[in-house]
Amino acid sequence: MTVRARVAHAHRTLRRAVVATAMLRGAALTLLLLLVIAFADAVFSLSAPARVAAAPLAAIAGVVLAARWTIRHGWRAGPDSAALWIESRFPALRYALVTAVDARYSGAVPELERMAAGVDFEAQVGRAAWRAVRWPALAVALFGAVLAALPAGAVSRVTWPHAGDAIDGPAYLRRRDDALATIVVRVAPPAYAGLAARALDDPAVVPALAGSAITFEGRSGDESVHGAAGQEALRATVTGGRWRLAFTMPSHAVAVRLVSGTKERLVAFDVMPDSAPVIALTRPARDSILRRAAGRVPLEARASDDYGLANGAFEVVVSSGAGENFTFRTLTVGAAALAGRDAELRATLDLDALKLQPGDIVHLRAVARDRNDVGGPSLGSSETRTWRVARAGEYDSVAVDAAPPAEAEKSALSQRMLLMLAQALEGRRGQLPRGTFTNESRAIAVDQTQLRRRVGQIVFRRLGEGDGEEGDALERRLDRPTNPDSVLAAAQRANDAVAAAAGAPIEGTESESPVIAINQPLLEAYNHMWQASTELEVGEPGRAIPWMRKALEALERARSAERIYLRGSSKAVVVDVARVRLQGKERGASSQRTSGSAADPRRAERLARFDAALALAPRSTVAAADSLLLLRIDALAADPPAAAALGAAANALRSGGDATAALARARRVLAGLVPARAPLGGWGAPW
Amino acid sequence: MVSDFTFCTVQYDSGDWDSAPLVPANIIDSVARYTSIRVAPTGVTVPLGSPDLLKFPLAYLTGHLPVRFTELERRTLREYCRRGGLLFVDDHNHDIDGVFHKSCTEEISRAVGLLADLPNTHPLYRCFFTFEDGPPTTSHEMNGWGDNLVHRHLQGVQLAGRLAVLYSSKDYSSEWGFHPDNKRFYSVDNTRFGVNIVVYALTR
Repeated sequence: MTVRARVAHAHRTLRRAVVATAMLRGAALTLLLLLVIAFADAVFSLSAPARVAAAPLAAIAGVVLAARWTIRHGWRAGPDSAALWIESRFPALRYALVTAVDARYSGAVPELERMAAGVDFEAQVGRAAWRAVRWPALAVALFGAVLAALPAGAVSRVTWPHAGDAIDGPAYLRRRDDALATIVVRVAPPAYAGLAARALDDPAVVPALAGSAITFEGRSGDESVHGAAGQEALRATVTGGRWRLAFTMPSHAVAVRLVSGTKERLVAFDVMPDSAPVIALTRPARDSILRRAAGRVPLEARASDDYGLANGAFEVVVSSGAGENFTFRTLTVGAAALAGRDAELRATLDLDALKLQPGDIVHLRAVARDRNDVGGPSLGSSETRTWRVARAGEYDSVAVDAAPPAEAEKSALSQRMLLMLAQALEGRRGQLPRGTFTNESRAIAVDQTQLRRRVGQIVFRRLGEGDGEEGDALERRLDRPTNPDSVLAAAQRANDAVAAAAGAPIEGTESESPVIAINQPLLEAYNHMWQASTELEVGEPGRAIPWMRKALEALERARSAERIYLRGSSKAVVVDVARVRLQGKERGASSQRTSGSAADPRRAERLARFDAALALAPRSTVAAADSLLLLRIDALAADPPAAAALGAAANALRSGGDATAALARARRVLAGLVPARAPLGGWGAPW
Repeated sequence: MVSDFTFCTVQYDSGDWDSAPLVPANIIDSVARYTSIRVAPTGVTVPLGSPDLLKFPLAYLTGHLPVRFTELERRTLREYCRRGGLLFVDDHNHDIDGVFHKSCTEEISRAVGLLADLPNTHPLYRCFFTFEDGPPTTSHEMNGWGDNLVHRHLQGVQLAGRLAVLYSSKDYSSEWGFHPDNKRFYSVDNTRFGVNIVVYALTR
């Protein structure tokens, strides 16, 4: 082997030693830090965020140290540096190695080879490498051994912190007299929900699905642990230095009281809602009337559920008959097993098979059940579609020809348009020259006049006056204002005379007759339009607008008076209360009760309990928090916002900080003084 | 403010809500005849989805056809019962476990709560007239079946110790569906139980 090769080998050995030393030092530092953190956690019970950050920080410190060591100790040095390092330990070589590794003299001077051949520097390199790594290796072994010797929980709490590890770790460093000081609640949801089990450290409130398997876990203390979930007594079992207490989540919120000697602890359990499936019937999309009940109708529905669907179907109810005699048939179509949280349901309804008769009504809806096997599957149903089979000769609502609007309708629309034009013109008064303004106003006046004449023709022809007059006479009449009372009185007299001659009863004798009810507002509108057109003619749309508004209101009244309701109701029976009571005359008018705000009779009681809990706070914040949690359970159903505020207040009390704001808010929400909204965060800088 | 009691009939989107038009007048007549309650001479009809329903302490719902409430109707009914109203539901059919019964009880369960048999000792049967045997039977109840099958109990949903929904399968809607002037032909007025319902609704 040449000198150059020997030096290269020594160089590689030294580099490996540097890298190994750096890694061992880094590892030692990491292990040392973990050891310190584990001890600190065992003594002081570090918070979860601190533990989560600890392991990565220790690892980073180790890596930084290793990198720094590698860079500082010749990672980049070449074979010439190695040769110099050897020369410094073997002065007899007299720089023979340095010269030999120089490319310019390599192999050129045999004397150098001979000088180096007599020196065994490889052994020196090996010893140096060993000296470099032995102490770091020893430190790693030592720290690793100490860590390995710690209880499993102590290390895992630092290296792999996770929910539920609050009671892991060495128990000998903690107080043994309080078994309830730290607890873990494990929640295993029912299988149908498909949710993963979870653990919570020291919770005050636990949301859980009904049917969930709940397990409390804590370190065994000097006293045994027992508890109660509502009326159910719970007894803990002890294994491996830990007590465990299990119960099944009921279908209602419950407070679990844990007792160990003189210590007590309260944990509230909220029921997570499992909603019924939501299902929408997408086909058919609307109710209908069938002329012929034949053929096959596709049915489609879309269902969704918060945890999972089990099955679904279309329910059909066929009702036959009328009046007091109805028969019903029910059947189910398209029953299918569903999977997942969203599903579509399809089926076909054979109308021929239903043998529907005229007058029959088919009620159709889609239903879906969820997978809840604890509280029984919840049933969700869609809106109901109704198909009616038309009776023979019935063509009432399936074929309607569009009709043009009635005259009064058209007039109202036109008047509204003219009013808008006049308002727009009035708005531009300051921008237009007077001449232009007046011309535009007169243009509106022309339209207003035409509309007035049209309304007049409707009225006078309807009252029969136009028929008896010559065309010119009617035109003259339409060109002057009219007195509605005199016109209508004459028309009413004529109407009464015709009715009396025919022997028919006159409608509406108790109130105003249709002759007046319909025509009075039209005549009023006629006169208002007259005033409006007069103002518009002189270029004063601003003064015309009030008249135009009155005309529009009168036309609207005429439209309402003319409206025909196709479906009537049977005449209401008016009970003569006074006659029944053999006294006085009935007033014929009733008043209705005014609705008040929702009253919660138990609010005052809850407020009193809140005040009592607050009174406990100066003596025992734990007792006050427990009382608030119990109050929260009671308020959960009747006043959910107050329950949420009470939970926040209890948590604030438990945390040991300033709970004033949370308590004040809970008090106000409980009293119904504020809407239930989350409060704003405190003022502070954005960072 | 003192206001007259006004009998309210509930109008719902599905079914024939207006199948018993004479019942309101009959109950009003009985209330006037036997009590001193200030009563309006005519009833009113209020859509179930309307907030106006909250103005009436008692609401009457009947029909023959399947009942399907809309979501708005369910919400309003829930609010009505929560705020102290009493919904009196009567199955107008002469059958047992018919479609009105199934669909309406299902809707009530969804909107308010599960119906349960009302014990015949309930204050409803003693708050004005005394009905020792519970709800009075009707001539329509047995429907010509030839047996003595009658509904032994009315059903109800109780909220905070108060009856929020009263459900009857006895077809009082047919039994009381006559003009009040014809009451003179009865030796015993069969609408007296209606007075109990009104008094209960006004006092509890």
